[in-house]
Amino acid sequence: MAYSDKVLDHYNNPRNVGSLDKSSASVGTGMVGAPECGDVMKLQIRVNDVSGIIEEAKFKTFGCGSAIASSSLATEWLKGKTVDEALEIKNTDIVNELSLPPVKIHCSVLAEDAIKAAIGDYRAKQSKQAPAAAQTPAQAVA
Amino acid sequence: MSQTCWNCGIAVSARFCEQCKALQPPAHDFFEFFGLSRQLALDVKDLEKRFYGLSRQLHPDLFSRKPAREQEYALEASAVLNDAYRTLKDPVSRALYVLKQEGFDIAEQGTKDVPPELLEEVFELNMALEELREGDADARAQLQPARLRFERMRDEIDAAMQLSFAAWHAGNERAKLDDVRGQLNRRKYITNLIARTDEAHVSD
Repeated sequence: MAYSDKVLDHYNNPRNVGSLDKSSASVGTGMVGAPECGDVMKLQIRVNDVSGIIEEAKFKTFGCGSAIASSSLATEWLKGKTVDEALEIKNTDIVNELSLPPVKIHCSVLAEDAIKAAIGDYRAKQSKQAPAAAQTPAQAVA
Repeated sequence: MSQTCWNCGIAVSARFCEQCKALQPPAHDFFEFFGLSRQLALDVKDLEKRFYGLSRQLHPDLFSRKPAREQEYALEASAVLNDAYRTLKDPVSRALYVLKQEGFDIAEQGTKDVPPELLEEVFELNMALEELREGDADARAQLQPARLRFERMRDEIDAAMQLSFAAWHAGNERAKLDDVRGQLNRRKYITNLIARTDEAHVSD
């Protein structure tokens, strides 16, 4: 298959490969997979707890060139965005930026799923930690 | 299969018309084509016998003096025969075929269809494999044992899949097909790992 120049660029020079401390409350981790291809993608974000801005994003993907490029691009886009802004990234944005062919659209879906999973994990950690005082009366009512 | 013979018009239910012996258009369901019910646990020896028998019956050369329409059916039947045999003799492609027939869309699966612990496991195995591949000679020497471990995992999945095949055969419960789907997904991840150990050897 002929990959676009942008896919090749991300594939040959992937941005932000690596990992963040999974146990940190400021870090959200998303682990997703496409079983039909046997791909697995891990994407992590580190969020500034005060500003809500994503300061760091890392990924590691075992899969085809399009899956690697999609997740590499996603980490570039995530940095500097607030969590809410990050949730607005759509797989179609990735498809357009990388000129992915129809058979590779699922790779961009995987990257969008990874962003959502990482943010979901971060929010779950935050809600467990921060409003402990506010939660107690609510639980008493329930 | 059509209800009446295209050639003489009598009712037909077989591959060849009982009255005029004309070849009928082939069934496109691979099991129906072989005269089998839809099944996962298949006797491959029996399938092979059916394949060779039908290959002789349907060889296009046998139809060279027949009407053009019948020659076309013979060509079509030979093509279905080869596709059907290739698909059904291999347990993995057979299982994919049956799942599709039963309405499981393998291609539409996402993360929600993979247990999280499988993703974790596969991720860790891939990380370890990458370390071996990019490591020194000592590390690369461990690639072959790693490949053997992956092959053993694949063989275990295949054995489990055979059990699920038999279980589905016993009761046609949908849950058993879901087991098969899970096994096929796990198998795909493991065969990718095997392929990646081979890539490492090539690039050395």
